[in-house]
Amino acid sequence: MTCQEAQELITALVDRELVGSERGLLESHLQDCPSCRLAVEHERLVKQTLRERAERIQAPAGLRARLLSDRRIFPEKTGTRWQDYLWPKAHLARPALAAALLLAIVLPAVFFFKAGKEPVATTALESYDLFRKGALSVHRTENPNEVVEQLTRAVGGHFHPMGYDLAAMQLQPVAGFVQEIQGRKILVAIYQGQGGTLFCYTFFGSEEDAPGNAARFYDPAKKMNFYAFSRGGLNAVLHREGEIICVLASEMPMDELLALARSKARPS
Amino acid sequence: MTRERKAGSARQDAVANEAMIHLDHLYRVAFHLAKDPADAEDLVQETFVRALAAHEQFDPGTNMKAWLTKILHNFFFDHYRRSKRWVSEEDGTQPESENWRRLTDPNQGPESQVLRKELDEQITQVLRKIPEEFRAPIVLVDMGDFSYEEVASILSCPVGTIRSRLSRGRKLMQQNLKTYVGSESRKVAQK
Repeated sequence: MTCQEAQELITALVDRELVGSERGLLESHLQDCPSCRLAVEHERLVKQTLRERAERIQAPAGLRARLLSDRRIFPEKTGTRWQDYLWPKAHLARPALAAALLLAIVLPAVFFFKAGKEPVATTALESYDLFRKGALSVHRTENPNEVVEQLTRAVGGHFHPMGYDLAAMQLQPVAGFVQEIQGRKILVAIYQGQGGTLFCYTFFGSEEDAPGNAARFYDPAKKMNFYAFSRGGLNAVLHREGEIICVLASEMPMDELLALARSKARPS
Repeated sequence: MTRERKAGSARQDAVANEAMIHLDHLYRVAFHLAKDPADAEDLVQETFVRALAAHEQFDPGTNMKAWLTKILHNFFFDHYRRSKRWVSEEDGTQPESENWRRLTDPNQGPESQVLRKELDEQITQVLRKIPEEFRAPIVLVDMGDFSYEEVASILSCPVGTIRSRLSRGRKLMQQNLKTYVGSESRKVAQK
């Protein structure tokens, strides 16, 4: 085999598409040919570089919103179909549906009852509390993107959940729902995994939504404020990205949660 | 609404929702086919519109990512043939690749992030300089994680052609990124 003949086979080898006799021929050629061995390394490097580049390209949020509001793609529905994603479907789990319906009545009642006493960010944490007590049923998905898509649709594409990648913390988005407090829609993404449980609340607002007793931290690198507060054993960190408020809530120590929020927050 | 219409609507909804999962992938492909990000967004939106108009042709459980990518690619080429608006940049300008070597610095501080951004821009420029027949297999295999067989189906050509175009395309990439590839491979050799 000549080096020229080896060239295409090297490409297939790098792509794990080389099998059978061709693979055997190439492997014996590589044993005797340092320049082709170097060519394998070069090609692997090009492939790896391109792959890494691809991972850094994400569809702009504006495009996402455009698609979600394009009626040729998502025709307008009568009723509130997004609620299907908040509660289990009857054919999947009738008992769960009954519990969910009960919650649908109870949750707003709880939130409206406390609405006048506490800031929205604090009141929102009640859903986490219900969840950890097993009193909040949600429609789970194994597809992380589905959480983001459904929540975005729930608010007509006007804004979308933060969609943070928390894989490094061993947390994956597993479910989402919409919470309404004082007429404001709050998108809630639930992350779970070996790293525990974390709720990410997203809503239109300002830094005035931070509780008055929250400790404020200023990150000079990102030029952003972070507000740390606790409620019933839960820790939470609020920050603002443009007109969107994000609250991360978890039982993890406050310093870890604050570090996580600071690492993920995107300056406006 | 009749039962049939309801079923059709639910089916379209299901296809649209599943398609959204592949949005980032489609945007990546469009980004490297189209001339600028605005065109890439238009290309993706048109792909969604066409896919949803033909949602009954999609067989549930089959490869939606490949199906959508084929629609995107076909639309791009139909449009390209008509208007040439999304012509690729195939001038012979060599990219400045000195910065690539500096990216091997293990320090991931702000400077490294800036260089990473420069690297991304360089890759985009180099890819756009490569003729389309070589670029599409690279984008689909290296950035889209498709197999040769899937790419052959998307581009409607034999698997052997995909392999040879990939080989030539990667060689062109390598030539344009010589400084970076050279310095990185020296590190590999030293290990």
